[in-house]
Amino acid sequence: MKARLRFRLNGKVVETEVETHWRLLDLLRDGLGLTGTKEGCGAGECGACTVLCDGEAVNACLMLALEAEDREIRTVEGLVGPGGRLSAVQRAFVEEGGAQCGFCSPGMVMSAQALLLEDPDPSEERIREALTGNLCRCTGYKQIVAAIRRAASLRRSEAGEGERGEAGGEG
Amino acid sequence: MEGGLRHRPKTLDEVFRLREREPECRLLAGGTDLCVQHRGRLGETPLLSLRRVAELRGVARSRPDLPGAADLLPGGECLRIGAGTTLSALLNETEIERGFPALRAALSAIGSRQIRNVATIGGNLCNASPAADGAPPLLVLDAAVEIASREGRRLLPLEEFFRGPGRTSLGAEEILAAVWVPLPFEDEVSVFLRKGRVKMDIAIASLALRCRRGAGTLSGLRLAAGAVGPTPLRLRRTEALLEGASLKDCGLVREPGGRPRAREDGLLARAMDEASKEIAPIDDLRASAWYRRRLVRVFLERAVAEVFAQ
Amino acid sequence: MTGTRFVGTKFPRPEAPDKVSGRALYIHDVVRPGMLHGAIKHSAHAHARILRIDTSRAEALPGVEAVITGFDTPELRVGFLRENRALKRDKVRNQRDEIAAVAARDPETARRALELIEVEYEVLPAVFDPVEAMREGAPRIHEVDGRGRPTRDNRVPMECRHHSGDLEAAKERSAFRVAGDYEVPWIQQSCMGTAGCIAEFDANGDLTVWAKTQIPFLAQRDFNRALEEMGLEGRNTRVIVTTLGGGFGTGLDTHCYEYIAILLAHRTGRPVKVLMDREEEFRYLSPRQSARVHIEQGCDEEGRLTYREVRVLQDNGAYASWGATFPTVMLLPVTSLYKVPVVHFDAEIVYTNNTYAQAMRGYGNPEVTMAIESNLDELALAAGIDRLEIRRINCNEPGEVTPMGARVGSCGLRACIEACAEKLDWRAKPGRNGRLRGVGMASMLHVGGSGRIYRSDASGIILKLDDFGNVNVFYGGVEMGQGLHSTIRLAIADSLGVLPEKVRVNPTDTATCPWDVGTHASRGAFMACNAALEAVRKLRARLFAYCVDLFPREVERALRKQRAGGPPPRPEGGAAPDRSSPPSAEADLSFAQGRAPGDFELEKGLVFVKDGPDAPWAKIPLDRILRAIHFREGGDMLTETAFYDPPSELPDWREGRGNMSAAYTYGAQAVELEVDPETGEVEILRFVSAMDIGKVLNPQALDGQVLGGLAQGLGYALYEEVKTEEGAILNPNFTDYKLPTAHEMAFPVDLVYVETDEPTGPFGAKGAGEPGLVPTAPAIANALRDALGVSLRTLPMTPERILRALDPSAS
Repeated sequence: MKARLRFRLNGKVVETEVETHWRLLDLLRDGLGLTGTKEGCGAGECGACTVLCDGEAVNACLMLALEAEDREIRTVEGLVGPGGRLSAVQRAFVEEGGAQCGFCSPGMVMSAQALLLEDPDPSEERIREALTGNLCRCTGYKQIVAAIRRAASLRRSEAGEGERGEAGGEG
Repeated sequence: MEGGLRHRPKTLDEVFRLREREPECRLLAGGTDLCVQHRGRLGETPLLSLRRVAELRGVARSRPDLPGAADLLPGGECLRIGAGTTLSALLNETEIERGFPALRAALSAIGSRQIRNVATIGGNLCNASPAADGAPPLLVLDAAVEIASREGRRLLPLEEFFRGPGRTSLGAEEILAAVWVPLPFEDEVSVFLRKGRVKMDIAIASLALRCRRGAGTLSGLRLAAGAVGPTPLRLRRTEALLEGASLKDCGLVREPGGRPRAREDGLLARAMDEASKEIAPIDDLRASAWYRRRLVRVFLERAVAEVFAQ
Repeated sequence: MTGTRFVGTKFPRPEAPDKVSGRALYIHDVVRPGMLHGAIKHSAHAHARILRIDTSRAEALPGVEAVITGFDTPELRVGFLRENRALKRDKVRNQRDEIAAVAARDPETARRALELIEVEYEVLPAVFDPVEAMREGAPRIHEVDGRGRPTRDNRVPMECRHHSGDLEAAKERSAFRVAGDYEVPWIQQSCMGTAGCIAEFDANGDLTVWAKTQIPFLAQRDFNRALEEMGLEGRNTRVIVTTLGGGFGTGLDTHCYEYIAILLAHRTGRPVKVLMDREEEFRYLSPRQSARVHIEQGCDEEGRLTYREVRVLQDNGAYASWGATFPTVMLLPVTSLYKVPVVHFDAEIVYTNNTYAQAMRGYGNPEVTMAIESNLDELALAAGIDRLEIRRINCNEPGEVTPMGARVGSCGLRACIEACAEKLDWRAKPGRNGRLRGVGMASMLHVGGSGRIYRSDASGIILKLDDFGNVNVFYGGVEMGQGLHSTIRLAIADSLGVLPEKVRVNPTDTATCPWDVGTHASRGAFMACNAALEAVRKLRARLFAYCVDLFPREVERALRKQRAGGPPPRPEGGAAPDRSSPPSAEADLSFAQGRAPGDFELEKGLVFVKDGPDAPWAKIPLDRILRAIHFREGGDMLTETAFYDPPSELPDWREGRGNMSAAYTYGAQAVELEVDPETGEVEILRFVSAMDIGKVLNPQALDGQVLGGLAQGLGYALYEEVKTEEGAILNPNFTDYKLPTAHEMAFPVDLVYVETDEPTGPFGAKGAGEPGLVPTAPAIANALRDALGVSLRTLPMTPERILRALDPSAS
């Protein structure tokens, strides 16, 4: 059974038909070809499918696609700016070695993005708390925490230079 | 009937109408449990989403104008928590931050940030897991649930809401509309202790305590435990033992290392024995009944110590 | 070779931008035109005869393209003992046995079709305990072995032992002796990206497999053998490795699901993807091998080890995968960690109706190091010797030849132990809030110069220079997230003399890359860089030979151009052109004439004469030289290959002797923790990891390997266990299989690297991929004993096990 869905995805209005049983994850990956959002467990435990819904981190595997109606969804692809410029969070993950096998990275990046939207200068404890729903088997998390600290300072200095954040600035 | 998300009504009246027409529909709140339980079979599961029902969301001070309110919520003014309110929204409420530390601690222990951003308090309770972290603190707060149907609304003590693992006393046409929590007393203390295997985990045992400190005694004591019985449990016999007890009665001493310890001849030690009889834990994957009993004893010892330390 | 500029410096991984922006393609993301989705039906019983399989209802389901069973497909044998089959026909031997498979238009239809397949079984008595499985009259798992010969019992025909010295005499001689029994569980590798593959035949009957593998070339061999068994002799398999999503040993074997995808692709004539979800991965993918280890060690009055006796019992499960070979890796630490004159090692591996195990990081080493190092602390206690001191007394030394014949080159174990001694406070201290504080450490030894377990332990590499000065690298090993490509980049940039961004490591593909035995045994960087260094030597020789003729002309041209007002040559990487020394009208070009190849140098992408003028026009960009070589009469392109086989020996497993690695990596970890004696809860306060890795090649990748290993070691020590009942997996999800999160890893870690400059290592480096988790669990066990006064000998050391150890009468 199909139904119409209208929502904002990475800043653009999308109108599409979806299967009524599709999860947001199915719509993104299979329906719209945005395979950056990963399915690591399908049960809300690993966080590889984390996306922003109205600026808040949610598991795309636990949300029905139709529930995105009239909402603003941002995926990891939507953090990349014009000309392929990576967002501060993404650059910091690259620079600090926050991505190893990379499968958890899109979800980690989105959780970090949500945190920094809420708290531009989070403590290490706050960072760890925000990552509790994102499993990583490669890094031991230390380089990810370091990346988020670096991202926070990158974002602050870029905001200070008067640049209007990156594409994901609005969540 | 074909599954998937069939309806997204905006009012409770619509919800009732649709349920009458399509009783097979399962109610979808945050979906964080339902989507896991039905993973891979959502296409066969007809769903009705409550997410757009605005009257189910929000937290406000209010006086319950419902049958039975005078008995169940004698204090009058309460906090009314819409069942559809997300855990994150609750954690952002200053009212909860200020007045309900045990509830706040319990809510922040549920799942991850991503889960709390969509999971609702109503979902946590209606799922009726013995380990639901929201339940023990609400039980000790003497919370009542507001149940709505086409026929009207009724109040029920939260304790009577839980019937067994996964079972509630909701009728087929009823839905949980709100949770009513009496406002805290000036001298109220509440504590919530839990343990999982790692930080983000279903509780293997939990304990909530609420009381007034009165004149250095435990008064109006309420105790409830999670994951140690078929439902979240009020520990009434243990409460009765400790009601009105002073620090001295409890026999609580501080060991050299700083750990509070219930002396064997004190009231608290007896209460700990009573609590381990009052609960009915099972052995499962997550822990043994033995360990769960042990945790509840320790939690009680520490919770009482914390009350006297505050 | 030029000096190192990039090796040893922090450099981001080249593949990281694609990973953090969602562009990297994992097997989950790869789609082929016309692709079908496969799903596999598994056994409902742990041990049963298959009487009948009815697939007719599944076949009738719209969207189903094929349903196959072992009865209507060629028999494909799987595993190194060849006793497993892709689809089972005679009987099922555990709950994960594959009995039928479906290819359908989408995964949902495929899975629904599975439910329509009816199987009739005759249930057989089953055995789930290796001790019971060895008893006479135990249910026989395999009536015949892989070659069809009748079996005598349930023992896996794998021999690995080592006996050196007179054990009884050594026991007599010992002043102190301590024995203990240890048990380590199955744990799941838990790659964040689940397992899967795509199989596709072309019109010639050749096969391409997109695989999540760490052994593309052994997989090619295995799949080619399957093609033969399918009657497709002479056909070939091309294995393409997608972005992996984690390996940790899961990709060291070929798996039934891959053969099933091949069978389905062949039957349907279309590409078929088989992808496991998390629950399937937990149920049907092989975990890390479990083990029961009995150990006895003794020492003399001075604390010198007199003997070590180790007996290992492994529950092999129903079939042999690499779990069965864990003893071959245990051999090294058992015979060679610390100086032990007398060593007796025996291993028994027994078939049961449980799941079967494969490789995981460290592969046998953490299992047995748990016993060795934990028992060593008990021995120190018995002998009244300080725990650090007993390790100093028995410390390995460079130049030592160990009982198994391991020839120790560089060895920095002593420095690692000292780092642990220094960085933690070893005095007894109380914990906070009535908790008990403890400190503990454990050492480790692992192969650091690859580990020879196959006739060839080699790695090939191809370096192809193009007209733009790019160095295209083709290497058969696998980037799993460990930073292999990043390390290859730095090593080639330094040794060749170009900027790292010019080094482009291509995806691993058996059609383009030279042979490699696989990415395991901490060998990736050691092997790839050694191979690369050899290829670079050849490349530079050829390049400089061409320079004899070409360089003078290029310099003259550059000078002419610059005099005409053109820009001076721009160094690679976009640095500002050097305008410091404008060419004089009478610049003397004779310096470039009549030079020998050895007079040239390449640095940062610029070719020059070593004693030539330090002027921009006297340094020619590599790409210019390469084009000059290419576009001339009798032109040439520079491509070089090297095939590096390390100086090591394939051990004789029956004797347990042989120098299995070209180098050995040592290390030690120490931990300070607090434990709540009432709840059993453990809080790690800090960790020290000290590792002798020879030389730090790639600090960012190395830190990641050590920290990631430590996190896995922490999970192994405290949280992780695959639980089973009658062969069924009880916790096939992250809800009940607990991995450490960022919260559990909140303690500080002191990373110490001891650089011992290994002579066989590239730039002096040794392998570092696995060691991070090897000593973690025993270090924690030793700290817990320090805190509690009791020994935890079963992993994971859960709060409940801790409380029961404190109160053995508890029920």
